[in-house]
Amino acid sequence: MIKKIFIIFVSILIILWFLTPVFLIVLASLTPSEDYYDQQRILPKRLTFDHLYKLFVVLDGWRATLNSLQVAAMAIGLSFLVGLPAGYVLTRYVFPGKNAIRLSILLTRSFPTLIIAVPLIMIYLRLGIGDTLFSVALAHTSFILPFVVLITTSILSGISVEYEEAGMIFGLSRIGAFMKITLPLALPGLAASAIFAFIMSWNEVFISSVLTFVNRTLPAQILNTAMTSPDYFKFAAGTVMAIPAMVFIFFTRKYLMSMWGISLK
Amino acid sequence: MAKVRIENLKKYFGSVKALNGIDIEIKDGKFVVLLGPSGCGKTTLLRCISGLEKVTEGKIFFDSTDVTNLPPKSRNVSMVFQSYAVWPHMKVYENIAYPMKIKGYDKNKIEEKVLWAAKTLNISELLDRYPAQLSGGQRQRVAVARAIVLEPEVLLMDEPLSNLDALLRVSMRSELKKLQERLGTTTIYVTHDQVEAMTMGDEIAVMQNGVIQQYGTPEEIYHKPANVFVAGFIGSPQMNFMEVQILKEKNELFLRNESLNIRLTDDLKTELGNKIQNKNDVFILGIRPENIHKEKTDISKFEPIEGKVYFIERLGSDTIVHLEFKGTRIVSKLPGDVKINEGESLKMYIDLSKIHVFSKIDGKALI
Ligand SMILES: Nc1ncnc2c1ncn2[C@@H]1O[C@H](COP(=O)(O)OP(=O)(O)O)[C@@H](O)[C@H]1O
Ligand SMILES: [Mg+2]
Repeated sequence: MIKKIFIIFVSILIILWFLTPVFLIVLASLTPSEDYYDQQRILPKRLTFDHLYKLFVVLDGWRATLNSLQVAAMAIGLSFLVGLPAGYVLTRYVFPGKNAIRLSILLTRSFPTLIIAVPLIMIYLRLGIGDTLFSVALAHTSFILPFVVLITTSILSGISVEYEEAGMIFGLSRIGAFMKITLPLALPGLAASAIFAFIMSWNEVFISSVLTFVNRTLPAQILNTAMTSPDYFKFAAGTVMAIPAMVFIFFTRKYLMSMWGISLK
Repeated sequence: MAKVRIENLKKYFGSVKALNGIDIEIKDGKFVVLLGPSGCGKTTLLRCISGLEKVTEGKIFFDSTDVTNLPPKSRNVSMVFQSYAVWPHMKVYENIAYPMKIKGYDKNKIEEKVLWAAKTLNISELLDRYPAQLSGGQRQRVAVARAIVLEPEVLLMDEPLSNLDALLRVSMRSELKKLQERLGTTTIYVTHDQVEAMTMGDEIAVMQNGVIQQYGTPEEIYHKPANVFVAGFIGSPQMNFMEVQILKEKNELFLRNESLNIRLTDDLKTELGNKIQNKNDVFILGIRPENIHKEKTDISKFEPIEGKVYFIERLGSDTIVHLEFKGTRIVSKLPGDVKINEGESLKMYIDLSKIHVFSKIDGKALI
């Protein structure tokens, strides 16, 4: 009984710890400016969607959101196009240098983005894809791809190769067996990692702001505009950034857990 | 249904020679068991036959078709995997139906065949369940149903009973065997369990180190083992082995070492006589525990041995006696009800019509 109360107490503490800032951000983003600057007031008299509206419509937030979605979609598509076969090979085949490849996949994460940003811009300009969404997607792919390779490796190694071999015995080609047997079994995990990859791209701000001027993604746009705006505006931007990610995670938390090998309940 | 012929098959994994020259011809409709200790290459051979594994060298024929380089799906083989490999995202019905769906059978035909296979394996009530809702034994039945539903030319099974509990294993043995007899499908069955092999196989191929040591009926394998390995691998408890020399005296042949001096019967003498070249060669005498008795009869000639009972294993139906006999230990299998105590002195009789003699050099059987 005491233990139960203790667990509930700690849980509430943890929830408050994480949700209070989110709550304050959302609240501030909905607070009318006169209430916001009123020192006497903690809770606003009324709520307004003014800031969000301005952010989206007046400051081109909707275009940036679309850009963000496009970049994320391209980055995820590219990452899975390359990462899924790579993960498959790393799980199903034994070949010389396999462990070296695994390690070097992690190594790519050890270069600070700051260092590669300038060379990247130079290369993109030379290729004629400077200031395009595709160039941002490519840059995002560079950090999403290793993640996708590692995650698909662990997802696929959890699926017995015999399911696939049974498929081949009973009439499928190797690729067919992968598509029809292994992929459906891997799908929940892959979907979760796709969502995770989406959030990685969605939240990325540095590369996006450096690489683009016109076609900014949402975080880059916000960084650019909100920094020079009133505080409640910054909070509105924070809300816009945080809510979609939180909603995604809420609906896919079961898969996310299973992706990392933790099972819920 | 097809005859399977394998010629000089080799499969290397880097430096590991998993199969090192397999030659075998399996007659149409036979139930053949690949038997051998773990790691001897049974699974690899089965996978080469299925096409899941590419061969390093050699050829595989189904009837007169060379299938060596065909992918699995073009070979018309079926397989029951050790882990069953029943697809977890499909219901039992879909699992059994899927091979036919791939091949484009029409719906009615599929249903008819699934129901037939389910009935044959007694799983008609389970068709609507997912594999996760089945017991191990039921999952195995689904795997077998899926394997027979397309009436393959060759049915392959890799230790299909090894994950079942002991009681279920015994009943599945006879059930699988009867099923195979009814279907008449050429079947290759892998196991490391000699009892399974002896009870199920029309023929047994005993393997070791990637080579088939002997291929024959269970009777041949048991009564006429081709070499020391087969003789030692088949039979429980293991055959007694002793080094002996063969000596010729006054037109008689003697098997002799420090503790034994056996005069060979006339039959064995003629059989062995012309196979011995060098007088000083060392041979291995093999005697099965069940051929050492407590009483002698008139049917055959016996050699008495006398020693002290060192250890007794009472198994209920049998009694295993370890006899200390002039410095060596000899194991004998007696009926379950014999009255013997450890430590007492005991006289036993070796049935000379059942002894085996192997060459020490290459282990090959001489008689
Ligand atoms: N994919 C593989 N890679 C490397 N070695 C293998 C592979 N498969 C089997 N082997 C080796 O080949 C030998 C035979 O294995 P296997 O056919 O599985 O034996 P069994 O089924 O008789 O226990 C073993 O030494 C095993 O380690
Ligand atoms: Mg095996």
